[in-house]
Amino acid sequence: MEALAALGGGFAVALAPHNLALALIGCVIGTAIGVLPGIGPLNAIALLLPFCLALKLPPESALILLAAVYYGSGYGGRITAILLNMPGEPSAVLTTLDGHPLARQGRGAAALAVSGIGSFLGATLSVVLMTFLSAPLAKAAVAFSPADYVALIAFALSLLGAVSDAPAPKAWAAGCLGVLLALVGVDSGTGVERFTLGALELLGGIEFTVLAIGLFAIGEILLLAEQRVRAEAAKLGGGRSLSLSELAGCLPAMLRATGIGFVIGVLPGAGASVASALSYTAEKRLHGKEGRFGQGDLRGVAAPETADNAAQIGNLVPMLSLGIPGSGTTAVLLGALLMYSITPGPLLFEQRPEVAWGLIASMYIGNAMLLLLNLPLVGLFARLLLVPASVLYPGVLALSFAGVYAVSNSAFDLLLALGFGVLGWWLRKLGVPLVPIVLGFVLGRMLEDNLRRALSLSDGDLLALLASPVSLALWAMTALALLWPLLRRRAA
Amino acid sequence: MTASRLLGAVLIVLAAAAAFSAQSLEVPFAADPLGPRGFPTTVAALLAACGALLLPARGAPFPWPERRLAPWLLIAAMAGYALLLAPLGFLPATALLAALVALVFGAPPLPALATGGATSVVLWALFDRVLDLPLPKGMLG
Repeated sequence: MEALAALGGGFAVALAPHNLALALIGCVIGTAIGVLPGIGPLNAIALLLPFCLALKLPPESALILLAAVYYGSGYGGRITAILLNMPGEPSAVLTTLDGHPLARQGRGAAALAVSGIGSFLGATLSVVLMTFLSAPLAKAAVAFSPADYVALIAFALSLLGAVSDAPAPKAWAAGCLGVLLALVGVDSGTGVERFTLGALELLGGIEFTVLAIGLFAIGEILLLAEQRVRAEAAKLGGGRSLSLSELAGCLPAMLRATGIGFVIGVLPGAGASVASALSYTAEKRLHGKEGRFGQGDLRGVAAPETADNAAQIGNLVPMLSLGIPGSGTTAVLLGALLMYSITPGPLLFEQRPEVAWGLIASMYIGNAMLLLLNLPLVGLFARLLLVPASVLYPGVLALSFAGVYAVSNSAFDLLLALGFGVLGWWLRKLGVPLVPIVLGFVLGRMLEDNLRRALSLSDGDLLALLASPVSLALWAMTALALLWPLLRRRAA
Repeated sequence: MTASRLLGAVLIVLAAAAAFSAQSLEVPFAADPLGPRGFPTTVAALLAACGALLLPARGAPFPWPERRLAPWLLIAAMAGYALLLAPLGFLPATALLAALVALVFGAPPLPALATGGATSVVLWALFDRVLDLPLPKGMLG
């Protein structure tokens, strides 16, 4: 009941008129960038950050806006997937399998409706779970020692390999690259310059926005420039609209997908793509014989979309309660809070309840807004697909550079962002996932700081890292997460 | 040479460079047991191990894209933008960049110019007028 009282306080924050307006703006932007291929929640939030600071938004309002963009994007990706047969977001890949055949059969509107309702159900049920889980988890984590944190972060990074779509060594290598990038600049512990290659501009370290915009916005556009895809959008209307009995038939799939999505989301390092893939496979196994999976089964649209949104919300739980982001985009949200000198983690719920609970309350409201936006106005968002690439991408690129320049005022950071863009482009071509780089970047400093604290407490005795039961359990799980992908490969 | 083998080799070279650079770090006095070297060296070792795991992998050869020139044109335009932004000023530099990008993405010359002009004016209005963020004025200022 404690949670309900705190949630009430959160609603007082979230229902303030300016916060309601920001949530609505965030939902619209989120859906729009979800629709548009080539710009996702990660770079959209990185681009909006300077705006929040420039408008002097208080931290809870900024978080309400940025988070709405984040979970709103989960509603937009499906529109592109169903109508164009290409995912607007990476996590919508599975939605294309049944969504596009449905659209070709003239049932695009039904597929959009069922996936919209699934998104709402998955997100809202996950927010309910989050309401009751976050504060107890944070309370348990208050007792974590620096050594426990070292083990927790190591576990989060090792999971990257076990759950990524890419081969495990590639995901781990990307995580290591991110950690090394985080170390560039003056080391806060010893005052020594590391990996700056003599550049004065790098003394303060690499700016998070520069890395995120470079890797994701610029890299994606370079990748798009070398492809020549111009898909034809399927018509929206035509066939039968969604009937109540069809919706009821999808309900069990949605509930299962919510469970899978939320659990996967809470695990650090595992993102929405994994959750939607797992839940699609689960439904296919359950109904493989009678279902028409791959040719246009409504459950094949409902399951991955529900899991996608549930996982997105689940990802926020470790970010808020432990200070450990579970995905690339939550890492950017964490970066946003750090820019406001708010450290997410165990103490957030006690010291800044208006931030933590204001956000949770706003997600109930935001998801209701998204459902209302997405059911009747879906056609309007689908129109965005008519914007030609030659108008969209110049705008995205110019906005990226202007955003980087507004944060740093230096030509050096523009070139650095371009360098990261080229890096992201090549890594994508080589099949290296980019999200682990961002996670490693955020967790790297945290890992070294905690390691330093733990070793100072023990006078340099490495065994102290294994001293508590919590850390022992986490290291055992880390070992499993490291060995499992290697053994699985041997078996295959 | 498969793509994954090449990647493995590059990662090992990168890890060796990082480890080598970390060894040269010196602290005048021993402040704490970890020091500046231990953590980067460990991470570099892990990176090298990942690279080694990729070496024996047999995969597809490097996939060559359809349009090889386009990304390089974009990179040249962006590098030019970074260098010319301060001397030219935000409006002309951004208009030029956006027009070039539009051309690369297949717009005919006149619409590309229009896209460039519109993009730069909209962004300038947003950053300078609405948000009051600093943008370089250049020769127009």
